[in-house]
Amino acid sequence: MDLNLELARIIEEARPCFQCGICSSSCPVYRVTPELNPRLAIDNLIQKNTIEPSGREWACALCLMCEQRCPTGVSLAHILITMKNISAQRGGAPSSVIEAIHSLLSLGVIAQSSGLEKKRSKYNLPQLQLPDHDQIKKLLELTGAIDILESHLKMEEIE
Amino acid sequence: MKYAFFPGCTIAYWLPFIEKSIRLVSAELGIELIDLPFNCCPEPNTVRSFSSESWLVLAARNLALAEENGLDILTGCTGCLESLALAKHEIESKPENMEKVNQALESIGMSYSGKKSIIHMHQLLYDIIGIDKIGEHVKRSLKIRVVTHSGCHLLRPYNILQADDPEAPIKLDKLVEILGIEPLDYMDKTMCCGTGTRRANREASFAILREKMASMTMVEPDAAVVFCPSCFTSFESGQKIVNRMFGTNYRLPVYYYTELLALAMELSEMDTVLSGHRVKGPLSAISPENRNLNQTVQS
Ligand code: SF4
Ligand code: SF4
Repeated sequence: MDLNLELARIIEEARPCFQCGICSSSCPVYRVTPELNPRLAIDNLIQKNTIEPSGREWACALCLMCEQRCPTGVSLAHILITMKNISAQRGGAPSSVIEAIHSLLSLGVIAQSSGLEKKRSKYNLPQLQLPDHDQIKKLLELTGAIDILESHLKMEEIE
Repeated sequence: MKYAFFPGCTIAYWLPFIEKSIRLVSAELGIELIDLPFNCCPEPNTVRSFSSESWLVLAARNLALAEENGLDILTGCTGCLESLALAKHEIESKPENMEKVNQALESIGMSYSGKKSIIHMHQLLYDIIGIDKIGEHVKRSLKIRVVTHSGCHLLRPYNILQADDPEAPIKLDKLVEILGIEPLDYMDKTMCCGTGTRRANREASFAILREKMASMTMVEPDAAVVFCPSCFTSFESGQKIVNRMFGTNYRLPVYYYTELLALAMELSEMDTVLSGHRVKGPLSAISPENRNLNQTVQS
């Protein structure tokens, strides 16, 4: 993913925003903490032409209420996802997200549960069919996820 | 009707009793479920946030697997629905994405052309089977009062999912009504349950849940009804954490819709299904086996 290209793209997408604040007043996260304010996130993007590595965008719950209600059709979800993608490429993904990706890499799924078969057999459920790990690993490798994981390991070393 | 069944990790790993209720109800309605080795959908809040490209290609593997087997996908998880439906849209509306995912899939001997679709149990029951047909299977009126929560990922983005009105959903209310249940209107009906931000900001996620629980309990329901496993866990297990964190005292039972449907159909094995719940609800199971027993005890 070309960071500059993606950044230019979301700045264009944010352009119609006239700062009405409907997104923020619809946001469940902003309702309980000032950490994430979608209106300001959009404003910052347009004003500063860049993404500050604040990590705040990770608090977005992706409920899409903001996008649903935005009167100018700004695709906030896509913008916030892209901001997180860029943040991840810079080594800024939260550790719980990194753990999930590691689990995906080694198991092909994110959820893990000890005694899974016993739990399922209590309800007479068929054995769960699991994906081929090598296929998942290969696809993650091809799409650059392993490189992004490594950039997080490097960040840890620096810190 | 026959579908590739996509239980989703949350149901298959953590809430197998929900999977059981889906399988029981499907069998009763003549729906055949085929199990395939799907990978994580992938979960949008983590995987798509981490890398949109990885998300798209891993979702394409699932879509390709269903296509290989000539089946549409049926899921019980709204997160899986949103992830797969959105990926399908991204792939099929942009030729460059179609090319990109096929290049990646080729490396594992697969391909995708975009012929198959994905639906949620909610859509199967309401839009395809229909309320009237479901009503024909109802043997017992459940007579409780509930608040329904359809789930963000079922309602939005509306232009792609088109499951129900994203601001004023009504279909889940209709689905409980046919079981003899009274759906109550409440404030913040379309508000998020908080799960989406749990990994990034735990405190905020439970504060969101506190707000949602306050709205739900204001109308004094007997239970909450959901159609998403993450919302189920958020409400059922999360309310205890909310109580601890904020000094509240919530004790609201939660049902996944097909559990209620199976109860109203008086299907067997529902005792076991309900034993998986942490907050015991007002309903107990009546099945052909214990119906006679109950009558003997009562008489
Ligand atoms: S709702 Fe749309 S137009 Fe209004 S502040 Fe938010 S992004 Fe801008
Ligand atoms: S999608 Fe994110 S920013 Fe938008 S309303 Fe939901 S939590 Fe807030």
